[in-house]
This record gives sequence, structure tokens and C-alpha cells, in this order.
Amino acid sequence: MTHSATQLLLLLVVLTDFAVLGTSRLSACIRWIAFQGALLGVLSLVVGGEISWNAVLLAAGTIVVKAIVLPAFLRWAIREAAIRREVEPLVGYLASVLLGGAALGVAFGVAASMPASVRDALVVPVALVTLMIGMIVLMTRLKAITQVIGYLMLENGVYLFGITLARRVPFLIEAGVLLDVFVGVFIMGIVVFHINREFDSISSANLSELRES
Amino acid sequence: MSRPASAWIALAVVLVLAPAVLGVASRTRAALTRRRGAPVLQLYYDLAKLLRRGSVFSDTTTSVFRAAPACVLSAALMAATIVPLDGRGALIRFAGDVVALAYVLALGRFLLVLAALDTGSSFEGMGASREVAVASVVELGLFLSFGTLAVLTKTLSLSGMLGAALAAAWPAGSPAIVMTAVGLFALMLAECARVPVDDPATHLELTMIHEVMILDHSGPDLALILYASALELSIIGAVIVTLLVPRSGMPVGVSLAVLGGGLIVIGAGIGVVEATMARLRLPKIPLYLASASSLALFSLVLVLWSGA
Amino acid sequence: MTPFLIGLGLVVAAAIAPVVLPRGGARSRTFGVLLLAGCGLTAAAGVIVLAGGGSVHQQWRPYLPGGDWVIGIDPLSAVFVIAVAVVGATNGVYGDADVRASAHPERSTEANATYAALVASLLLVVTAQSTLLFLTAWELMAISSFLLVITEHERAEVRRAGWIYVVATHAATLLLFVMFALWSTGAHDWTFASLAAAWGGAPSHRGVILLLGLVAFGLKAGYVPLHFWLPPAHSASPAHVSALMSGIVIKTGVYGILRLLTLSGTPPVWFGWTVCMLGAVSAMLGVLWALAQHDMKRLLAYHSVENIGIIMLGIGLGALGGAYGHPALAILGYGAAVLHTVNHALFKSLLFMAAGAVYRRTHTRNIEELGGLARRMPWTFVMFLIGAVAIIGVPPLNGFVSEWLIYVGIFETARTVGDLRLLICAAPVLALVGGLALACFAKVVGIVFLGTPRSACAAESSEVGSSYLMPQAVLAFACVAIGLLPALLATSIARLGAFVAGDPAWGSVGAAATIGTLRGPMLFAIVLAAAIAVAMLARFAFGRRRPVRHAPTWGCGYPEPTARMQYTASSFASPLISMFGALSGVHEHRGATLFHSEPRDIVLDAVLARAWARVESAALRLRPIQQGRLQLYLVYLVAAVLSCLLYLIVAR
Repeated sequence: MTHSATQLLLLLVVLTDFAVLGTSRLSACIRWIAFQGALLGVLSLVVGGEISWNAVLLAAGTIVVKAIVLPAFLRWAIREAAIRREVEPLVGYLASVLLGGAALGVAFGVAASMPASVRDALVVPVALVTLMIGMIVLMTRLKAITQVIGYLMLENGVYLFGITLARRVPFLIEAGVLLDVFVGVFIMGIVVFHINREFDSISSANLSELRES
Repeated sequence: MSRPASAWIALAVVLVLAPAVLGVASRTRAALTRRRGAPVLQLYYDLAKLLRRGSVFSDTTTSVFRAAPACVLSAALMAATIVPLDGRGALIRFAGDVVALAYVLALGRFLLVLAALDTGSSFEGMGASREVAVASVVELGLFLSFGTLAVLTKTLSLSGMLGAALAAAWPAGSPAIVMTAVGLFALMLAECARVPVDDPATHLELTMIHEVMILDHSGPDLALILYASALELSIIGAVIVTLLVPRSGMPVGVSLAVLGGGLIVIGAGIGVVEATMARLRLPKIPLYLASASSLALFSLVLVLWSGA
Repeated sequence: MTPFLIGLGLVVAAAIAPVVLPRGGARSRTFGVLLLAGCGLTAAAGVIVLAGGGSVHQQWRPYLPGGDWVIGIDPLSAVFVIAVAVVGATNGVYGDADVRASAHPERSTEANATYAALVASLLLVVTAQSTLLFLTAWELMAISSFLLVITEHERAEVRRAGWIYVVATHAATLLLFVMFALWSTGAHDWTFASLAAAWGGAPSHRGVILLLGLVAFGLKAGYVPLHFWLPPAHSASPAHVSALMSGIVIKTGVYGILRLLTLSGTPPVWFGWTVCMLGAVSAMLGVLWALAQHDMKRLLAYHSVENIGIIMLGIGLGALGGAYGHPALAILGYGAAVLHTVNHALFKSLLFMAAGAVYRRTHTRNIEELGGLARRMPWTFVMFLIGAVAIIGVPPLNGFVSEWLIYVGIFETARTVGDLRLLICAAPVLALVGGLALACFAKVVGIVFLGTPRSACAAESSEVGSSYLMPQAVLAFACVAIGLLPALLATSIARLGAFVAGDPAWGSVGAAATIGTLRGPMLFAIVLAAAIAVAMLARFAFGRRRPVRHAPTWGCGYPEPTARMQYTASSFASPLISMFGALSGVHEHRGATLFHSEPRDIVLDAVLARAWARVESAALRLRPIQQGRLQLYLVYLVAAVLSCLLYLIVAR
């Protein structure tokens, strides 16, 4: 039972990755990343196998941070900057989805050549896919908000690795992972606002104007 | 070579029900948008009316235009003989018959496109060029789905992929099969020119894909083409129904009832999609097809990985 | 063996006849009769071997260095001999009529003589069983095809195409020399039989030999990126020469790879995967580049690149089957590749012949200027339509049978375990290739033959004579026959596949499997053809009792539609081309009142031409060596001799 629930949740995580990759509406992107955060919270509960106070608190904390707080913060940011849509990314949406498909193949191929103890877990390829698609979003999108979302997806991929590769993880490491996410987003938020205030736009293409000459 | 009677009966059921599926779709769409809509049997009345009419042929057209509708219908009929409509075995089955399914539908499409270019009209040329563009990528997605089924069921024939081997593979492979079915549904919407790829209810030629390609056909020819596209939709719909509910173990009556009910549900699903989604802008259609194909690719990768 | 040798002799006589006989109708009739008789005899010899007679061979000891001369027909050679004979004969008859109807009919002497020489050298290439004989025949084939390509040498682009072709084919010959030199170091003799025996004893060189063979024969076969000589050569040469080149000459590259596989035992795994990748890439890029072309013959040339890709995919399947130890897969793969070779030879020649007839009557190869030719050239239209339906691979014609066999091989890998299952990803690629091919031929047939004429030369064309149409009818009949009755060939395909795979014991396993698998599509094709016939008859009978009216095409109420309002070829292809972006090689230029788009070959224009420009400018720097002064050259001579003497002293 838990095995198929885990499998279902992991498949939904991959589908949300592709959803973020292919859509240009920022509110939809934020909704999908919030959904992904919720999935990760439930996953941390299901995978552990035991329903202890520790696990429930951890899951609740993950859901609150990843699915409620951070998306709300992002929604506030786009309201402040009054933007609705992403501009055409560096490689185009079609090429992004194709790159995502290639990343899928690579991730599953890499996972198939891993040592036998972790080969059967679906989590390894799903974590790799989420990591890679997060990097694709981070590298190819032009607006800072979508880059933040890509960074969040990257962290989700790392979190997925952490969930199962170490079954009994001390709370400290979990807190460290979440703090990592939080700090990253906090810094990016500050950067976003500073970009917004100085140049009146959140286009990170303007960052390339910073040169010595 | 005698096939069991259930295969023939299932073929007859699909042949009779095909126009009703489209009727259910338009009725559902109307109901969801607070309209009464045309009766479910409207397409039957239209076909009968068209068969009574005469034909108008353009001066520019050659024999290709006159021959195309009959060939399109025969292609759709031959496609129906390959799919195991009764859930057990098709009328014609051989290793690799999925290829025959895709390519015989391609034959029908080729002749229809030639008939469109035969008229020498820019509208039909436009529809033809869009149609072949969409169809090429749909074939890619179709073969990804067939590849998934082949690896899952370890058979080479469609009768095997949708028959007993599918029922055996269902418990373990259900996520991949469900994703394949969803991907096939999205591809079917593209292949059969429904929303979000093409709106069958629009009257603006510049926005059409399939409808504008058949603009110049009239009378019995138009009836043949309309029926052939309804039949194609029902064939792919039957494949989706069998994927979601494998029928190889059911008694014949139950299997046929599931087929009929499933087709109605698919028609209703199409109606729901048409009522809730807007048609995509033409430059966005490749992205839509790529997403549907990615779903099929994901299920293929999943099946390859879990069998390794 | 004797019928083959007599046939070969008759073809050589056909090469000599146009030169020796006086000008007149008797000359072309003699040429035609000699060519037909020669090809008929050689084809009969091939059929005898393929249908169950054992392999035959003949060995001579000439008073020349280089070992014995061996000519032999085994199942692989037999298939290619039949293909050469059929395509060679039909194209010869067509070509004779075409050259005599062209602007320079006096060229028919050398054109016919060179053509027959080419056919003779082709027959020799596919039956040579010793190294020097093979290389001699290969060179003869290269030279005679070059001479035929530059038939219309007064045009600059023909000369350029000829140069590119000569460079490519001689690069191939050089690589072949190196390959055979490496291989025969371990062999006691220069016959293929001793080469096969020597394979066991040269493990370190095996990879290099296979790679050299792949590249050398690839330069002749024309898969991406070694295809760059194909489109210019095909569009520059006369129609029957393009047909023979696309149909047979590039297939000698395929023959070479298959012969390499026959002589070399079990291929390594990397070879199979490399060939599959090359095949998939060639098929994909070939058809994409074809879609962007406006020149009918260049378009057909790129389709040859695509079909070579499909053939290579089949060869790769067979090689992987041999490498991983799956007899059924090996037989299916090799058999499918050879069947597709034959099928492609048939329908590509048909298409080129029909395109040549269109060119002869309208004097243009540009699709955008044609249109409405179905009413003015009805029989040419029927022939081209049959060829188009065959090449896109739909039932009930022969393209479907070979493509389906390749699909069966791909799907067969789904039943295996391990890395081989990854090959299933080739099926969607092949499906996309098929879809693009359909789009491309819908474009060609629709724009060239249907609609209304877009220019005066299209409006004033007329039908060609029966000497153009009879060869096409023969090829069209062959396409239909193979499509409707493929099971008759099943034993031959199985025997061939087993022969290339190297284990005749697999022949019985493969034969049963292939006959079983070929009966399905045969039944399907026959029922489909019957269904189409019945449907058309029923529609015709039904329509007699209904009123029929004729009216102009509906143009949304526009009162004066013109031919220029029709869809153009580049517009038809543009949704697909824009989906693929820069990969399609289409360059667009937008001015204030002007839009111009032009297809360019990425490999030739972007890579090779630029590399060649760099080589040229580097070579120009060596110019100062040649001053033109005698004293300087004497100094060079003395310096060279002195340095040799110094070397001798030092090396002691």
C-alpha cells in the first residue's frame, strides 16, 4: 500500500516538473510549485513507514513552508512587480519541454546504472529529474521570479534525495535543509526587490549590464 | 481463419455508435455552457441528409478529388479491423499490426490532403499544411504509446497489447498504463481535430485545421468523410477504453456493454474538454503535442526502467 | 555462372555499340536490345541463385599482378544483381529517349555508351569476390558515373556538382584502399574468401577496418554527414542518371557494408549501435531537409538520404541481433534492410523518371512554377502518384512492407531483456520520419500536379511518349506486385538475412518466422486494395443517380481567383519547418517589400565549404615556394638529395 502511494506521489512530482517547464503564466507556475511542496510533505510522511510525532511534525512543517509560505511570498512579489507572464525563454517552450524529456531519459539511465541497493527505488530517478529540470528552468528563464521557482525545484530535488537515501535522518539535518531553502529564497527575494527598485523591472537580462567598463 | 463472433459484433457496435459519440460530445458541451444543443443523434440525420443530396465538383479538381472520400472510408474501416474492439482479438491480427493501423490512417490522410490541394484554393492548402504538421507529431506520440505497451505486455500485435497480457500487466504497470491512456486521449484530440487543437464548431476558416481542408466536398462525399472521422475517433476511443478497463476476461455481453458505455464516457469527456478549454493558438500547438508526447515518453521510460 | 557472364558481355557490347555503329534509328534500337538482353540474362542468373540454387563462382588467373580474379554470385550479390539489372534496363531505355529529346541530341552517343559502361561496372562491383577486381570495378563505376553527372557541362552548377562528387568518391576509394591493405596483411591471398578467413587473426585491427569500411562505404551510400555530394549531383545530372544513381549507385555503399558484415563474422556491439544512430539521424535530417527544398530533383535526392538512413537502421538492427545473439532479430534486420534497398531502387527510379518527364516538358525543376499537370500529363501523374504512395510507406504498396519489417525488428527488441530494449525508442523516430515524408510528398504531388498552373511553361506542357512511360509502368507494376504479394519473397528474405548474419543454420528458423510474419501484411494489403476498389465502385454507382453540378472552387466569395492565390510549396512546408527552427537549414530574408527563403545544406555550406576555404587560404601561404626561377628549383633538388644522404649517414 505504502509502496504504491509512494510511487503515485513520485509520479505526480515529475508531472508537476513538466507543468512548470511548459507554462508561461506565473501564477500557474507558483500553483504547481506549491502543489509539489505539498506532495513532498506527504511523501516524507508516507516513506518513513511509521507515523510518529516526529514524522508528522516534519511533514506539517514541510507543507507549511513549501506549499503555503513560500508560494504566498512569491505571489506577493509578482503583485508588487505587476507582472503576469514570463517572456519567451532563451530556448523556447517547445525546446524546454524537449530538454525535459531528454533529462528524463538521462536521469532514468543514470539511476539504472547505480548500485543495486538503491536501484529499485523510484525516488532516485525522480529526484534527479527534478534536480535537472530545476536547473533547466533556472538557466533558461529570463524573469527573476521564474528563476527563483527553478531554484526551489532544485532544492526539492535535493530534498527528495535526502528523504529516502537516509531513512532515519536526525531532525537537525532536516532543519538544515529547510533553512537552506528558506535562506536561498530570502536572499533571492531581497535581490528581486532590489532589482525591482533600481531598474523598475525584474528582468535579469539587465544584470548583464554590470560590467567594469 | 474464423474469428469469434464477438469480434464481428463489436465491429458492428462501433460502426453504429461512432456518430453517436460525437453527438454526446456536442450535447455535453452544450449542457455545460447552459444551452440545449443539438440532439445526440444529429450526426445520423446529417449523414442521411447528405447522402440524399447531389454533388458539386469544382472545375479545377481531378479524379483524385472524386476518389479520395471512398478511400478515406475504406482506410478507416480497415483500421477498425485491426483494433481488438471486443477486448480479446481483432479480425485481422499479425505481428506489428500497430504499424498497419497508423499507416493505413496515414493513407487516408494523404489522399484527403491531395484532394484539398486539388481544389487549388488557398484555404484548403492552408488546412492541408496544418493537418500534416499536426499529424506528424501525433504519430510520434502514438508510437511512444505503442512502444510502452509492447514493452509492458511483451507482445507485438495490438490484439496482444490490449488483450489478456494487458490484464495480467495491469496491477504492476497501472501508473504507466493510466499515463499512456491520458496521453492517448490528448493525442486523439489532436488527431481528430477537437479542442484544444481545432474547434469543430467554428466558422472562421483561418482558424480551422481539419474543417477547412474538407471545405469543398459536398453531398455523399462529405457524408463519407464525416463518418470516417467519427469512426477514427471511436477506434482510438475504444483503444483508450480497453487500456483503462481490460476486457479479455469478461463475458461477451458485459464486454460489449463496457465498450459502448466507455465510448459514451469518452464522448462526454471530449465535451467537457471542449466546454472548459479554449482552443490553443496555432504556435502553441507544437508545445501541446510535445507535452502529450512527454507523457507517453515518461510512461515508456518508467516501463523500461521497472523491467530492467 | 555462364548466363551471368554472357549477360555482362552483352552489356559491354551495348557500351561499344553506340560508338561503333553509324547514327540512326538502328543504333538506338541495337543499344536497347543489347542492354535489355544483357540485363535480362544477369537478372535470370540472380533469380536462379536466390530461389534456391547454391552460390556460384568463377576464378581466373590473369597474367597480371594482384592475385586471382574471382566473380561469384551468392544470395547477397544475387539480390543486387537483380536490382541493377531491372533498374539499369528501364533507365537505359528511358534515358535513350530522354537524351535524344533534349537540347543536345548528339550527346546520345557518349551518354548511352557511358551508361552501359556504368551498368557493366555496377554488375561487376556486386559480384567481384577479389580485392583488386572489386577496386577496379569501383573506380570504373566512379568514373563513368562522374562522366554521366556532367553530361550538361556547359552549366556552372553541373561542373561544381561534378567536382564535389569526384572528391567524395575518390575519398571513398582511398579509404577503401587503406581498409583492404590493413585487412589483407593477415591473408595469404587477395580473394574475399581468404579475407574472411583472416578475420579471425587480426583482433586489434578489427575496429579500425570496420570503421574505415563504414566511412568509405558511407561516402558512397550517403548518410548524414557524408551525404553532401548527393543533392548537387542528383539535381545536376539528367533524369535517368539521377535515377540510376539514387537507385543503384548509392546502394553499392549499402552492398559494401553488408559484404563487410558477411566477411567479418559477428560484429561488435558498438558497431550495431553506431549504425543505428547514424541511420536514425540520417532519416530524420534527410526528410527534414527534403521538406525544405523547391527543386524537385534535390528533394528526391534528400529523400534518398532519408531512405539510406532507414536501410542503415535495418542493418544496425541486424548487427545488434548478431552481437547480442538473437537470430530472429538478425534475420529480420538484414532482410528488412535488403528488401528496403530493392524497394527504394524501384520507386525512387520511378519518381526520378516521372520528374524527368515533367522537366522535359516544362523546362523547369522548380515546384513553385508548376501546377495543374495532372490534366496535361495524366499518365506521368499516375506514375508519380504510385511512386509517391510507395515511398511514404503506406499499405498496399511495397514501401509499407519493408518499413513494417523494420518496425517488427524494433518491436521485437521489446521482448528481450537488457540494453537491447532501448532500441524501442527508434520506433517513434521512424514514425516521425514517416509523417514528414508524407507531408513532403503531399507537397510535391499537390503543388506540381494538382491545382492550377502557376506559370506559362506549366500551362503549355503536354504528355510524353510511350518510350518514357513504358519503363515507368514496369517499375510501378513491380511496386504494386511486391506490395500486394510480399509473402512470395519471404523465403528469399530469410535466406538473405541468414546469409549476411553468417549462419546458414538459422535459415530454417528465420524462414518460418518471416513467412509467418509476411502473411499478415499481405492479407491486410489485399483486403485493403479490395475494400478501396469496392468503396470506389459503390460510390460511383451511388453517384450516378444523384445530380452533379460543376462550379468554381469556393474562395470565400472572392470573385476573381488566380493561380497565384494557391498555396505555395514553401508555405505548405512552413509549419513543420518552423517547428524545427535552424536545424532545417532554411535561410529567410525579409526586406521592406520582399520575403525570400532559401534552403541550404548545413553540412555542405556551413561546415565543409568553410573548412575548405580555410584549407585553401592556408595552402595559398605555400605559394612562395613556387617562384618560377630554375635556379631555385635546382636548389630544392640538391637540398632534397643532400638531406637523404645525411639521413643515411646518421641512421647508420
